[in-house]
Amino acid sequence: MLHIAKRRTVADRVFTGGLIACGVLAIVPLISVVWTTLSRGSERLDIDFFTQSMRGITGAGGGALHAIMGTLLITASATLIAVPIAFGTALWLTEYAASTTSPAVKALARTVRGVIDVLAGIPSIVAGLFMYAVIALTLGPGYRSGFAGAVALALIMIPVVERSGEEVLARVPAELKEAGLALGAPQWSVILRVVLPTALPGLVSALLLGISRIIGETAPLLLVAGFTDSMNYNLSAGRMISLPVYVYSQWQNKGVDAQAYDARAWSAALVLLAGVLLLHGLAGLVIRLQRQNRQVRRARR
Amino acid sequence: MQIARLTSLNMKHNKSVKLLTLATTTAAVLLLAACSASNEQPVVPPTSDTPNAPALSGTLNLGGSSAQTAAQTTWRAAFQSANSAVSVNYDPLGSGAGRTGFADGAYAMAGTDDAFQLSDIASTEFKLCATGSGIVELPVYVSPIAVAYNLPGITELKLDAASVAAIFTGRITQWNDPALLALNPNVALPELNITTVHRADKSGTTGNFTDYLTDAASEFWTAGRTESWPAELSGEAAEKTQGMRQALEAANGAIGYIDVSQVGSLGMASLLVQGTAVEPTAAAAAKALAGSGLEAGRSNIDLAYDINRVPTDNTAYPLIMVSYLVACQQYQDATTAELVKAYATHVISEAAQSAAAKDAGSVSLWEDAALQKRVADAAEAIR
Repeated sequence: MLHIAKRRTVADRVFTGGLIACGVLAIVPLISVVWTTLSRGSERLDIDFFTQSMRGITGAGGGALHAIMGTLLITASATLIAVPIAFGTALWLTEYAASTTSPAVKALARTVRGVIDVLAGIPSIVAGLFMYAVIALTLGPGYRSGFAGAVALALIMIPVVERSGEEVLARVPAELKEAGLALGAPQWSVILRVVLPTALPGLVSALLLGISRIIGETAPLLLVAGFTDSMNYNLSAGRMISLPVYVYSQWQNKGVDAQAYDARAWSAALVLLAGVLLLHGLAGLVIRLQRQNRQVRRARR
Repeated sequence: MQIARLTSLNMKHNKSVKLLTLATTTAAVLLLAACSASNEQPVVPPTSDTPNAPALSGTLNLGGSSAQTAAQTTWRAAFQSANSAVSVNYDPLGSGAGRTGFADGAYAMAGTDDAFQLSDIASTEFKLCATGSGIVELPVYVSPIAVAYNLPGITELKLDAASVAAIFTGRITQWNDPALLALNPNVALPELNITTVHRADKSGTTGNFTDYLTDAASEFWTAGRTESWPAELSGEAAEKTQGMRQALEAANGAIGYIDVSQVGSLGMASLLVQGTAVEPTAAAAAKALAGSGLEAGRSNIDLAYDINRVPTDNTAYPLIMVSYLVACQQYQDATTAELVKAYATHVISEAAQSAAAKDAGSVSLWEDAALQKRVADAAEAIR
């Protein structure tokens, strides 16, 4: 008997130990990436880096202001394009299509879900190539703009935001909606006044995760937004560089003082990493607020 | 009651979310509004009451040869500083991509390590050029290509065309091969496998390298002159100039060919010319250029070089590339023509050429007065 118990304990220990090792292994690359980026990227993280572009810079010096601005503008406009479509689809699927009896609507909902699943699996370069093909056919092969990049990124963002948005919306308690409907409110009013406010924190975190998914995209922007040395605030005309593309071009298109180009690339990578971590932190904060709120609600009940 | 309470709870909670959103948005907007790069001059839109408004404005997109990257960075920087309303972009995607992009109208000018073939010029419709316009090809960047190697501790290596061909065709696979030891009697070459690195993309550097081997070591190199590395030859493939550099730096015992401006800390082999070892310097490249002539059968604005790979001068370094800036002789769009001409004129100016010579180790056109005159005349023909 004792023998069996001992064997079981040992097996349990080995299994637990193996799982812990897996957990540690999973974070080792992350820590290594953060550490390398921090140690190499801090070198050029000076004032110039945030106040200068690369215009007129040949060797050392210069900065990434144009890329930081480009990232903000492109990401913001991609979000503006993607979010209404994504949340609209999610609302339709959860609030209307889920309770319908019409077979045609059901079939459409199935198709939409299927297509979004496919869209979620598309490699980002394909989204970029799609946009490139569209603009090359309509506006000529040399056309580059921040807006074209934003549309390509929106294509990547829509499925991400739609899926997590749908999950959040599906979790809104049916009693709340039923209470609203029982009071005689039309469905649109229930959605606007009950469903959306209840799901808001979840939707915000869906949005933030969507943004952090696209903010580091390089390939589509490389194809359709191009790279440049100068500031460009105009989304509709002219090339616009973003941070990931900046990292790529600094590494790939080195001038003579290669060290300076490497240092700038690392610093830009660090800024980008910090931005993504910040977004994840924000999303985490929103989710925590939501949980606290639920606990308060339960306690009051 | 229940609903009312829930709603009020929701509202309370929403406040924090709203506050968060508001704060983020405000920060972003403030950031956006406050920013103009401190190294850029504000662009004054040309109006009647600003007499010193910039004469030139617009954007010029160029692309092509990755070997020209360093020189283009230097030229663009100076040109953009002088013309605050002009942006010049250069995509170093390779000579092949540059020529295609120029023909398709994606680039106003191409940078290419190989001039257009005469047959291509006749059959291609250049989208930005006016009907019937020829093209202007200006040799703007003459630079030695280094046979670069990664052998720690070995700073001196002599090779001849035959041994380079033997290495890249896999006939010599060890650094201490008798043929290499015979060329380098005073160097302790290690017993180490040679890793050859070649360009994966269609490259003008590869074109010049294989051209050199074809002319100078015809008995060992039979693949001819090609911009795409012959598929039947083994070796490590590297994407563009930076990929080559990365691959060479990564592998002990590696050897490859790369523009001299991008050699960095790698070793550079001297090539034997008429029995004398010549290092890849700008001066030796200038000698090789002086010993070469323009290709026959071309117009006086199409200045394509026929490089002599077996110079009689034993101070000339024959593995050079002549890289071109290609433009339309006549553009459909007058504004583009004006910008192109201004930029081309800047690139061939004495200041820009010597700046590139300093930054990228290239040969200034101004070292050859006759050539400089021809190039200036050809650039003048752009309209």
